[in-house]
Order: sequence, then C-alpha cells, then structure tokens
Amino acid sequence: MMRIAVFGYSLMAFEAMRRLNPKQYQIVFVVKDNAQAMQAKEQGITAVSLDFRNDDELKAIGIGRNIDVLFCFFPKDSDNVFLTISARAIDKQLNIIAIVDDPDSAEKLLAAGANKIIDPYEICGTKTHQMLTKPEITQILDETVFGQHDLNIAQIEIPLGSWLENIQISQLTRESQHQLLVLGVVDKELGEELHFVIGEKEHYLNAGDVLVVMGPSNAITLFTEEISQTQQKTRVVN
Amino acid sequence: MPTRALIYFAYFLKTSTRYQNLKKFFYNLLESPDSRLKSYFDVFMIGLVILSVFLLINEVSGAIDYVDWYEQCIVSLFVVEYLLRFWIYSDNHKMIIEYYEKVQYLGVPFQVSKIFKSLITKKIEYIFSPLALIDLLAILPSYRELRVLRVFIIFRLFKLFRYLSSIKLFSEILSNKRFELYTLAIFLSFLIFIGSTALYLFENPANGGDVKTLFDAFYLSVVTMSTVGYGDISPHTTGGRLIAIALIFSGLGFISFFTSIIVSAFSDKMQNIRASQVYLELKRYDSFVIICGFGRVGQHIAKQLQKDQQAFVVIDPNETKINQAKQLKYLAIHEDASKNEILLNVGINSNASAILCTTGDDVTNVYITLTSRHLNKQIRILSRANKLESVKKLYQAGANNVIQPFEIAGMVIAEYVGQPVAFEAIVGILNEEKQFILETIPVLNNAFIAGKTIADINLAQRKLMLVGIISNNPLHHLHKNSYPVNNQCFYFNPEVNFELQPGDILVVLGRKLGIDFFRDQIEKSRLKRKVKS
Repeated sequence: MMRIAVFGYSLMAFEAMRRLNPKQYQIVFVVKDNAQAMQAKEQGITAVSLDFRNDDELKAIGIGRNIDVLFCFFPKDSDNVFLTISARAIDKQLNIIAIVDDPDSAEKLLAAGANKIIDPYEICGTKTHQMLTKPEITQILDETVFGQHDLNIAQIEIPLGSWLENIQISQLTRESQHQLLVLGVVDKELGEELHFVIGEKEHYLNAGDVLVVMGPSNAITLFTEEISQTQQKTRVVN
Repeated sequence: MPTRALIYFAYFLKTSTRYQNLKKFFYNLLESPDSRLKSYFDVFMIGLVILSVFLLINEVSGAIDYVDWYEQCIVSLFVVEYLLRFWIYSDNHKMIIEYYEKVQYLGVPFQVSKIFKSLITKKIEYIFSPLALIDLLAILPSYRELRVLRVFIIFRLFKLFRYLSSIKLFSEILSNKRFELYTLAIFLSFLIFIGSTALYLFENPANGGDVKTLFDAFYLSVVTMSTVGYGDISPHTTGGRLIAIALIFSGLGFISFFTSIIVSAFSDKMQNIRASQVYLELKRYDSFVIICGFGRVGQHIAKQLQKDQQAFVVIDPNETKINQAKQLKYLAIHEDASKNEILLNVGINSNASAILCTTGDDVTNVYITLTSRHLNKQIRILSRANKLESVKKLYQAGANNVIQPFEIAGMVIAEYVGQPVAFEAIVGILNEEKQFILETIPVLNNAFIAGKTIADINLAQRKLMLVGIISNNPLHHLHKNSYPVNNQCFYFNPEVNFELQPGDILVVLGRKLGIDFFRDQIEKSRLKRKVKS
C-alpha cells in the first residue's frame, strides 16, 4: 500500500484526500498546529500537528522510511519550498508534489526537488476554457472518468512473461474492443512517450511497456489480472 | 376613402421588405454608428467637403477651369444626402400605424389633419436640428442668385462635424462642462463690463486718454485681459493703468481656470472614450467571450482564448490589471462588470456568446452571474466558486457551470498520484498540448454516416479512435456501456453494430488533420444529397 503524507490545511488537501482510495493509499495528514488538527477532526479526518521545519519530526512521520509520496499544500510558497528541500534532503526517491501560488515560485520548487508542480489557478483557467470550448467532452469526462460513474482511465504495466509479450497492439485493440478501450502505449523501446493507438504505427508489446486503457473498473481489474498470466485464458471480450 | 388609402399604404410600407431594406441600407450608410459602410462614407464626404471649399476658394482667382461643373456635382451630392437624411430621420408609416391603432383602441375618429401635423412637426424638428442647419448652409452658397450667401461657404467646413467623431467628442465634452463654462462666461462678462466701463471713464480723451468710444473701451479690456496687448490703444492715466493691471491678472486667472476645466473634462471622459472604442471594436465580431476579472484564472483563460483566436474582452475594476491586459494587446475595459450598463454596452444581448465570472470574490461572481442572467436568459455563464458553499448560490443565480479551483486541483493531484501516464495523457489531450485531440462530431441529417453502423464508417482506417457516442435517441437504449450525462446518454466504446442516427454526437480521438478531414467529408456528403434532392 502506498503511503502519502499530506501537508497543509486547505480545501485542496481535503479534496485530494477524499478522492484517494483508502484501500490503495494510507494517508498521513499533517497540519501546523493543534487548532487545525481539531478542525480536521471535526471534519472526520485525523491529523497530526508538527513543526515541518524540524527534520526529526519529518522523519518521525515516516519521511525517508516508508512515505512514498509527499503533498506540499501550504498556502505560502516559501513554506512549500522549505518542506520540499527538507524532504528531498532526507529521501532522494520521494515523489514530491507541490502546489504553487505565485507562478515565479514554480522554478524554485523544482530547484528544491519537487517532482510535479500544480498551479490551481492555471488548472481552473484551463478547466474553464475546456468547458467553454468543449462542453460535451468536459462534461463526459467530469461525470465519468473524474466523477461518480464507473468509467476510469488506468495505466497497466505489462509484466514479464505475460501472454501480451511480442503481440501487436492492433491485435490487442481488436480483441478488447467491447469493454476496454486501449488509448495508448508507452513503448519502452521508443522511449517514455505515450503513443496513441489510432492506427498510425504498429507496436510490438514487451514487458515493461505501459498500456493506457479506459473502461469500467471491473474490466480493468480483469484485464490487469489476465495480462499477468502467461497464456490468454479468457478474453476481456463479450 | 383617402384615410383608408393612407392606412393601407402605411401597412404596405411596413410589410414591404424592399422598402425596409432600402431604408436600412441608407440608415447604415448615413447614421448607424456601428456600420463600416458609414465610416467609408464619412471619409468620402470629408474629402468632398475639403475639395469643395478648395475649389470655391480658387474660383475667386480663376485658377481652375470647370469649377462650376465640379461645384454642381458636389452640391448635388450634398442635396441628395440632405434629402436622404430628411427621409430616414423618422418613419412616417410607423407613426401613421401607431396613431391608427391608438384611435382604433380608443374608438375615436381618425383625424388626417392631426397625423399630418405630427408628421410635419417631426420633419421640421429635423430641419431645425443643428447638423441639418449646417447641411443646409453648406448647400445654399452655391445658389448664385443669392451671392450674399457665399459668405456661408465656410459653413461647409462645419459639415465636418457630422463626419469626424473626434470633433463630435470635443463638442460633447464641452457640453458636459457647460455649467462650469457658463459660470466662467458670466464671470468674464462681468469683468469685461466693469473693466470697459472703468477704462472708458479713466481713459476718456477729456482725461488725456485714447479711448474715444465705449467699443474702444471694450476692445482695450479684451486685448488686455487676453494678455495680447496690440498697443494700438493703451492706457495713459494712472487709473487706467491700474485697471489694466487688474484685468491682466484676472485674465491670467480666467485662462488658467478655462484650461483646467477643459483638461479635467478630457481626463474624466478618457475612460469612457477608451471603453467606447472597445465597444465599437467588439461590434465587429460575430461572437466573443466576456471575461470578468483579470486575476490569475482570468489571465490563463485569456491566454488560451488568444491561442484559439477566439475574440474576448476583459472587464476588471482594477486599473493595474487592466493595464496588464492592455500590454498583452487584449481588449480591456476598466469598469465594474456587475453594472447592467457596462454589460449591455459590451454586447451581452448581441454578439457575446459566453460570460466568465473569474474574480477571486464569490460575492462579486454571484452578483455578476445574476446580472448577466437577468440581462440575457440564453447566454452561457461559467462562474468560479472559491468556497464550496457558494456553488449552490452560483447555480441559483443562473450559472450554467461552476468551477472550483481548489477542488479541481485536489482532484487532479489525486488522479495524478496513481496514474501519472494515464493522467498526463488525458490532460494533454484536453489541453491540446499533444498533437492529438478529443473532439465531438455531430451526425447531421443527410450526412453519409447517418444510418450507418460503426463498422461501416471504419474510423480506424481514417486514423481516428471512437471513444463513445452521446445520444438521447431511444433506439440506442438496448446498447451496453451507457452512462447518463446531462439528460443524454454516453455510450462508451460502442459495438460495431451500433447504428448512427441524426442527432447523435461522436466523441473521437485523433489528429486535428484527420478530424477536420472527416468533418469535411460529412459536410460534402450533406451538400451532395441536398443537391440531388
């Protein structure tokens, strides 16, 4: 199970935690003081208060030991930069995702060691633009992929020895067309870029390649289980 | 009988498309401030006015031949213009119909004399309007029998008032400050009266001065006050010189006061002038988006709309933000978007296609949303909610969609954590960062895809991927993988035997080139079928 440390009492932190599946992720919510911890408790979330400037306290919650992902959600960019620097110094492998208030701080956060920068204003602007220019598509994605309906986008890595090894992507798309839609593949032989499967180029699948699929969660689970087998027993087809 | 004929004729004009179009054409040519035709006509007339004055001045020296011929042509155009303006000033048939319907409702007799009186009054109103008088005075000097009228030739230059908006603006600014200018004029008259009287008394030849008449005294006062001082008449007595000193200081004060009035009038009006230029610019677009608030969110939207070459206007009460928008060459108005007047002027009821409330304050966003919905029931309103509790209020106020920045960002992060490749893929497609886009293609009547199955249209061969179909057609209800979306159904990854019906919308993934080509094929097939039928 992936362990995530969420720092900062904010709307965004609550929304992110609400969306993370507790069966898949173990979350440690960290706030600055006891008052915020109490407020979080009122909302049904257990939070720990600590001083993020103290490395020992960071280590105490598992950074450098068992925390896989760190969310820096403090409202002040300077706090997020400090937390990123401290966490990166403790754990070189940690996946750090930070939010940015001032766009000029994005570079500072990256320099401090963050893996991904999220600008809420930019996302909001982009979202508004999408709603304006592509209302149908935005609505479908909001209500299905990002919403309550059981339609998801998932990435699945092809394991070693899978029956998918050495078969063509076109063959796979033909055979799984009723329940899963294979959107693209990261063909490791060609690099880390995602190639959309629209018939432009043929790809031979190998272990380590990543498939990006879209479909109902049970179909995705079934497909994930199936590809780990050495032989194709059942098709994810009707 | 003549009454019935008159009413019949009025109704005939009302229903005559040719008559209405003709009148509309001349209205656009001569009067409509939004018409491009008018701006061309104005430029032509300015040239004509200047040419006519130039010709008439040269006529005196006999330097140019055929002056009379040119003059006749120009005056004929002026006369035609005058008559056309006279015609379009009022709609006689409308007035007759209004009067007729009124008397019918009240059950009183139709009095022809009364309606004629109203019609004539209206036309006389035009004849005596300042601009029409200038037009008339510009025509009269060419009437040779009235040579005395040639002095009015200069009035042709006043015709420029009609065509130059900057001159109109200047006179408008002056008229807005008329109270201050009247006060100043009274003060000036009082000073000149006192000064002239005093100078006449002190500088009388009997006292050793040059001022022989009261007019001389008036002349000396004006020349002194304006600080011109020709010197042809000058004060000689001590009393006269003291009056002159007082007049010089008063004159300086007067000039300063007058200058400050004009400058302040211009600075007061400058914001409106700039805004009205933007309003005029917006009228040229078939559709545009109104962005209320130029904060971080508004800036991102503007950037993307500019990339799409979609016209938009930014409204923000913050001067710094508006200057920032102007530096980026965006159309921007320094105003409060919650005012009805501003939204109406911008064109919420005409060309605006959507309004985006993107300020950082939920109260302002609710108010702008409510104002916009009140002014236009159909316009698309997208509003930003910074707090969860404001979402419902924004929908109540009339927003079509509400966007919550922090909720979306939270969602994005949560989705990103587990599936970075998948997530970047979908975000990349939506943001059109990659060469691939997700687009909708409607199945239109008569299109070659209507009535065909998914297998028949073979999207894979067209290098397109069908993600799903949006439809509310009951014929599709038996198909699986359907998700209710906004009173319609989204059929995800439909089977190959799915038969497309007019009104369905395909959601396809592919390169823009491929999608555009497919769209063109659909459109061409429709046109072919139309031609055949």
